[in-house]
Amino acid sequence: MPIVPSGPTDGTFPLGVSPVRVLRFARCLGRFRMMLPTLPRRALLRFAAALFLGLPAADAAHAAQDAPLVAAAADLRFALDEIAAAFALETGRSIRIVYGSSGNFRRQIAEGAPFEVFLSADESLVFALAREGLTVDEGVLYATGRLALVVPEGSPLKLDPELADLAAAVGDGRVRKFAIANPEHAPYGRAAQEALESAGAWAAIRSRLVVGENVAQATQFATSGSAQGGIVALSLALAPGVLGSARHVPVSESMHKPLRQRMVLLKRAQATAREFYAYLRQPAARAVLGRHGFALPGG
Amino acid sequence: MDSTALLLSLKLAALTVAILVPAGILVARFLAAREFAGKAFVEALFALPLVLPPTVLGYYLLVAMGGSSPLGRWYEAAFGHALVFTFDGLLVASIIFNLPFAIQPLQRAFEAIPDDLRHAAACCGLTGAQSLWRIELPLAWPGLLTAVALTFAHTLGEFGVVLMVGGSIPGETKTIALAIYDRVQGFDMAGAGLMSAVLLLLSVLAIGVTFLTSSRHREKRRHAD
Amino acid sequence: MPTDRLHVELGQERPIPLAVELECASGEMLALVGPSGSGKSTVLRAIAGIYTPDRGRIDVDGETWLDTRAGVRRPAHERSAGFVFQHYALFPHLTALDNVLQAMGHIAAGERRERARRLLERTNLGGLESRRPAQLSGGQQQRVAVARALARDPKVLLLDEPFSAVDQVTREKLYEELATLRRDLSLPIVLVTHALDEASMLADRMCILHRGATLQTDTPLVVMTRPASPLVARLVGLKNIFEADVAGHDDERRLTHIRWFDRVLEAGHAPRFAAGTRVAWSVPPSHIVLHRRDRPSRGERENPVAGEVIRCVPMGAMTAVALRVVPGERADLFFSVPTHVARRNGVETGAPASVSLLADGIHLMPVTRAS
Repeated sequence: MPIVPSGPTDGTFPLGVSPVRVLRFARCLGRFRMMLPTLPRRALLRFAAALFLGLPAADAAHAAQDAPLVAAAADLRFALDEIAAAFALETGRSIRIVYGSSGNFRRQIAEGAPFEVFLSADESLVFALAREGLTVDEGVLYATGRLALVVPEGSPLKLDPELADLAAAVGDGRVRKFAIANPEHAPYGRAAQEALESAGAWAAIRSRLVVGENVAQATQFATSGSAQGGIVALSLALAPGVLGSARHVPVSESMHKPLRQRMVLLKRAQATAREFYAYLRQPAARAVLGRHGFALPGG
Repeated sequence: MDSTALLLSLKLAALTVAILVPAGILVARFLAAREFAGKAFVEALFALPLVLPPTVLGYYLLVAMGGSSPLGRWYEAAFGHALVFTFDGLLVASIIFNLPFAIQPLQRAFEAIPDDLRHAAACCGLTGAQSLWRIELPLAWPGLLTAVALTFAHTLGEFGVVLMVGGSIPGETKTIALAIYDRVQGFDMAGAGLMSAVLLLLSVLAIGVTFLTSSRHREKRRHAD
Repeated sequence: MPTDRLHVELGQERPIPLAVELECASGEMLALVGPSGSGKSTVLRAIAGIYTPDRGRIDVDGETWLDTRAGVRRPAHERSAGFVFQHYALFPHLTALDNVLQAMGHIAAGERRERARRLLERTNLGGLESRRPAQLSGGQQQRVAVARALARDPKVLLLDEPFSAVDQVTREKLYEELATLRRDLSLPIVLVTHALDEASMLADRMCILHRGATLQTDTPLVVMTRPASPLVARLVGLKNIFEADVAGHDDERRLTHIRWFDRVLEAGHAPRFAAGTRVAWSVPPSHIVLHRRDRPSRGERENPVAGEVIRCVPMGAMTAVALRVVPGERADLFFSVPTHVARRNGVETGAPASVSLLADGIHLMPVTRAS
């Protein structure tokens, strides 16, 4: 059976507290009536009882969630949601996805976080985990990511795949704030920095940067009106929530090191995870990735 | 609306209250009744989570409970799953960062009880436990209610520590505060807005309960004179 | 030693100094009297078990409640001491009846309510059982406190300045009630008070406490008229305390002569002081008689002392007088006379006057350097 956390799924509370003891405690609340002369006692007692009795019910609700955990880079949000839905439709199995910064996931997995599949936006992170013996193998390249320069409606920035206007825009004050993901641990942030350096705009713009904890947050900053634009994942610029309120242009690939996105099965991966991993390499899944602006390996 | 996250948050808050408040009662009563060398230090220690940045607390908790720590390894051996990235770890973190919210209102409430009442209870033949249950707790109930309300509301809203120690795993450690953060990143402003409104309502209710009980109590005392 | 006696010995240096030894028999009321800070409440609390001194021994009715040398220390809730606190310490969230019920844990559950009701009737609180303390007057609260203390079926009743928080009228009513209650109680009662008149009125014996030390324990009359030392004399309110030398004893007439400045006075017989010893002596105002111009009496021949009135303060029906007997020395006699007598005899500031000191009121005490 899975070594995955069984906490909320087996009907007892964590730390071994039994529901019977909890019920007795709830009954003891009745003795508190001496203390509650001015409060609606019955209502309070009913609420308390409901809370304690309802909790096992809440447990039962996601007892079905023995679903494997997938750690996915933030730029995959809309693409992967679509793929997961299709997977559920086809196989009847569900997975639980956590989106975040790849660098963060790499650290958490090393500390024992219970993920079974890791879709990184930076393959070096996968190699590192493989070296540490935490993965089944060295994984496989599933996509190459693209950067996009994104500007909200009404922004004075010009759209240019070579980012030519950017340095000038900083100089003449058209750009006061510019969003990218955190270059320290987000691959898209690092790539954005490389692109800005290639365009000769890094020195000028770095004091104006608004840094997102991952590329999704950076996209939020770039399009919400708090910044005049940003460099984010193309897949996110194509997202329905963004398309309507912002314009974008893919950034020229020559301006940064390729975003080779690699995925890998972790040692604790079980059957469903492995199935999903295989599904991701099927044509259906690849098509979805392609539609979301990713370049696909092997043609 | 991420109802799994909401229920998870409610469960975390309820369990934190259920575990922390009874323990807090005993600690607060002890602190209120006794003087001893180093008491100020102990009180400061319990108050620390009030000012400690959540990420600092999260960092130290990770170090103390993480997979490679002695505590983490013992827990994994004993219960079959890790302490971090699980609900159990969240509960531990929650109990720690709620210490001042539970202990301080209770301690103030116990301190407000004149010493002679405790002495009178003893002279009536009541043991410490009987005195606590029949005399002190009924008199300290505004403090108790405040402790429960504050701890509950504070747990619902905690973000930084939960993120660092829990990892935002749906159904396990993805609380409603994290769900809101996640929805914003996913451009689902409507979903984020709904959940924020629910949290806001619960927080207002908690503060309302606290203020109502303390003002009613004050009124009663005024009329009594 | 009869075993139902209360016997207390306490010793401590810090934080509150204690050097106590006292006894109280069943049915007896002992008053602990002393200025504030003398440790009276502490002694009471030690007996009840809510204060533990460094050293001590407390025995009640055959039980040893405290024996520091043997390591015996019964916690307060296991002693059956009825304690009436200065501010009553009634449980504010409980009715009068419930307050009293708290002390009845040792009684079978079925009987409790009835006994509690009867106790409240005995303390004149019938009909007030379901009132909370906030709905009771000061005097009624005090009665509930007494009822609660008695509900414990205690082996000793301890009262800590129980009348200090009520007005004079209520206080006098409560004195009466306590005196009545006492008749049915056969247990030792210890009353702490700073009011000497209260102690003399209510108690069988009085114990003077100063800085935690029991100085003299005896009936109020003896303590007030025959204090053991100048310190006790001061503490019981005697103002006329002087020093003199013993000149000699007259065993036949049961008198002792003392030389006070240039006078020789006849004092009560005190052969234990050898001739030539320096002693302290006191005389209560009741034994100082004014020489009246309008009605001279034979008593004027006893210890006549003349002097100058240096202060004369009419206070209602009585006038307080200070008579300087030795010019230049602070040997002033304090006494009071009815105001009409003072007027008729020309007693006013600056006027000469003479008094007689009745010999049996002159009490000799050892001089204590420390006082």
